Amino acid sequence: MPWRAPYLCLALLVLGACQRDAPRQRVRISSSGASAGAPLLVPPGSQDTGFVGTTSAVHRPRPGLPPRILRAVDARASPGYDRITFEFTGDSLPGYHVQYTSGPVRRCGSGDPVAAAGAGRLLVRLEPAQAHDERGNATLAERDRTLGLPAVKELKLVCDLEGQVEWVLGVATSGPYRVSELSGPARLVLDVRHGQ
Amino acid sequence: MISARSKPRLRITVAAAVLIAVVAACREAPVEPCPAARLAVDRVPLAASSSPFDPAFAAAGAEFHVPPAVLQGIGWVETRWQMVEGAEEFSGRPPAFGVMALRGVALERGAALAGVTVAAARRDPVANIRAAAALLDAYAAEAAIDRSRSEHWSVVVARYSGIELPEGRAAYGREVDRALALGGARTAPAGTRAPAPGACPPPPGSGGAPDYAPAVWRASPNFNQRPADSTGAMHIVIIHTCESNYTSCWSWLVNLASQASAHYVVNEDGSEASQLVLERDRAWHIAALYDCTLNRRHDCWLNGVQSNHFTVGVEHAGFASQDSFPASQMEASAALVCDVTRDRGIPRDWQHIVAHGQLQPADRTDPGPHWPWIAYVHRVQALCGEVVVDDSAAFNDPALAAAAAPGAWTASDSTPDYYGGGYRWAPTQPDATDGAAFSFRLSAAGSRTLDVRWTSGTNRSSRAAYATITAAGDTLAVARQDQTTGGGRWHTLGTWTFPAGWNRVVLLQRDVSGAVVVADALRVRE
Repeated sequence: MPWRAPYLCLALLVLGACQRDAPRQRVRISSSGASAGAPLLVPPGSQDTGFVGTTSAVHRPRPGLPPRILRAVDARASPGYDRITFEFTGDSLPGYHVQYTSGPVRRCGSGDPVAAAGAGRLLVRLEPAQAHDERGNATLAERDRTLGLPAVKELKLVCDLEGQVEWVLGVATSGPYRVSELSGPARLVLDVRHGQ
Repeated sequence: MISARSKPRLRITVAAAVLIAVVAACREAPVEPCPAARLAVDRVPLAASSSPFDPAFAAAGAEFHVPPAVLQGIGWVETRWQMVEGAEEFSGRPPAFGVMALRGVALERGAALAGVTVAAARRDPVANIRAAAALLDAYAAEAAIDRSRSEHWSVVVARYSGIELPEGRAAYGREVDRALALGGARTAPAGTRAPAPGACPPPPGSGGAPDYAPAVWRASPNFNQRPADSTGAMHIVIIHTCESNYTSCWSWLVNLASQASAHYVVNEDGSEASQLVLERDRAWHIAALYDCTLNRRHDCWLNGVQSNHFTVGVEHAGFASQDSFPASQMEASAALVCDVTRDRGIPRDWQHIVAHGQLQPADRTDPGPHWPWIAYVHRVQALCGEVVVDDSAAFNDPALAAAAAPGAWTASDSTPDYYGGGYRWAPTQPDATDGAAFSFRLSAAGSRTLDVRWTSGTNRSSRAAYATITAAGDTLAVARQDQTTGGGRWHTLGTWTFPAGWNRVVLLQRDVSGAVVVADALRVRE
C-alpha cells in the first residue's frame, strides 16, 4: 500500500538508511525495561521507587506559546513504576493536563470511541503541541502501541489536531502517578506506579 | 489533482509563493487580472517581485552555474527572503540558517563546497546563498542535468527540499517547474526559459475542487460516509482555526496519520483555499457529540449525535489566540461559506455557522474570542444576496438594518429556534397603535423578496399581520401569518419593488385580544 511508505521511510530513518539530509526523527517507543544501548533519559539516581504520587488531575497550562513538537515517546518499566517520557524539540515544554477518565475516549477528529487495554484510562493532553512537522509529516511513526508493561498496557494517540496532542494510556489499575519536567531536551515524564 | 498520498514538504509553500508571484506579476501588467485572483476582493501582494538578496542570488548563480531564479524561489519558499538563525525547531530537524534555510549536514557540505566556514554560512547572507548555490551545483552535477533546461532543475531543488518519497518529489517537482518559469520571468537568467509575454501561469493545483471551484482539491483519506438518515443531513458549518499555518494545516490533514480532516482550509490572506473532503462525505474535524444547550437550544433533536455527521468543517490558517483576522481571509471564508450554505440549504445565522469551541468547550476554543462573528455572518449573508433585520440591534448591521420595538414588546429567549439572541413578543390589543418595525436600507431601487421568522407556540396569533411599507410611506401589503406553527423557519411575505432608502415591515400588535405576536426577524433577499 503506498500510504505505508511514510512509515517505512520513518522506520528506515531510524536505522539511518534514509537520505542523508533527511530529518532525524526519533522513534523511541520501547516495550522492554533496560534494553541494552537505549539511552537512559534520567540518571538512575533520580528514580524513586517509593513515590506517593496522585490519582487526581495534574494541570499545568501554558497558553500563548507556539506549538511544541513532540518528537519521541519512550516507554519502559523501572523498579516500582512504568515511565513514559514525552520528548519535545527545543528547550520548552507545552502545557499539559493529565487525568484519569471514566468516560469514553474519542478521537478528536472523527469522534470515534477508542478502546484501551487495562482497567483504567489515563489521559495525557499536551497543548499547544503537535506530533507532526509543519509540512504534514508525522514526527512519531508509532501512534498506537501495545506496551504490556506492568502498569501501562497500551499507549494510543487519540488527538493530533489544532495544536492539541492527546494520549490515552490503558493502565492495569487506576493507580498513583506523578509528572515531572526535564530539560535538555525538554521532556515530560509520567511515572505510573506498579500495583495499587 | 494532487495525490493525497504524496508527502509534500515545500510543495505548498512553493504553491503559495507562485500564487503570490502570479498576483504580483499580474498587478504590474496592464492586462486582465489573473484567474488566480478570484477568492479575495482586497488581497494585497505579500511579496515584491524582487528581493533584497537579488545581487547575491545573481552572483552566486553565476559563480556556481545555478539559475538565480532557482535561488530566489528557494529563498522565498524557505524564509520569505529573510535571514533566519537557528530559528524554530519545528520539525525535529536540525535548525535552519540563513535566507536559504540550510540545515545540518547540507549546510556543512554547502559551506565546504563554497569555501566558507559553517559559521559564515549560517549568519552571513552572501555566504549562506553561496553555500546553497554550491550545494545545488553539486546536486546538479550528481544528477547530470542539462542546466540550460529549467524543468531539469526541479529534481535538484526537490533534493534540496529533503522530501524522501518519490511521489512527493514528483509532485514537488511540478510546482518547482512553475516557480522556475516565474523566476525566469522576473530575472531572465541566461539559459532559463521565460514564459510567453503576458502569460499568467495557472496557480498550482489550481481550482476545480468538486464542491467549490475556486478551491484547490487536495483529497484527504480521512473521511467516511455520513449517515443515510436525517442525522447525516448537512445542517451546520463549523468554523475552526488550524493553530498553525496553511501549509502545515492542509498537509497534515491529508496525511492518513492525522486521522483528522476538514472539508475546507482557508489560507492566511484568503488567496487560496483547499477542499480536502467532499461535502457529502463526513470529514473528521470535531470530536464532540452535539449538545443543543451549547447552541442556544437549537436543533435539540440532534442531541447526542456525533457532530461530524451533520456539519461542514472549515479550517482557517491561524490561531485562536490571535488578536484579529485579516479582512481578506474573512472575505474568502465568507465567500466559501456562502457557497456551502446556498448549496446545502443551511441557514445563514449564528446557530448554523458556529465555532468549534462553542460546540466542544471542554477542550477547544477555536476560532477564539476575536473571530468577528457578527460581521462575518453578515458578510456571508451579503455575498448570498441577503440582509437580515433582527429584533436586537446587536445582530444588525446598522448601515443596512434597524429594528424598533416599542416598550410594550418584551424581549425573550425562552422559546428556542429564534434568529440572533432572542425575539420580542407583545399581547394583541384592539386599540394598540405600536408595531414592531424591521427596517432595511436599499442604496438603489429594486425588487426584493421578504421573509419573516417567529417562534411558535399555542398562545401565538394565528393571524399575525405584517405591513410592508416603502421608504416613500406607501403600504404595499398587509400579509397575515399563522404563528402557532412554523417557528424557527423563514416564511415568505411576498416580492415587491422597493425604492432606495429605508423600507420596512411592521408586525402589528393591533388585533382582538387573547394572543401573542412574536417579532423575531425579517430577511430581505435579492
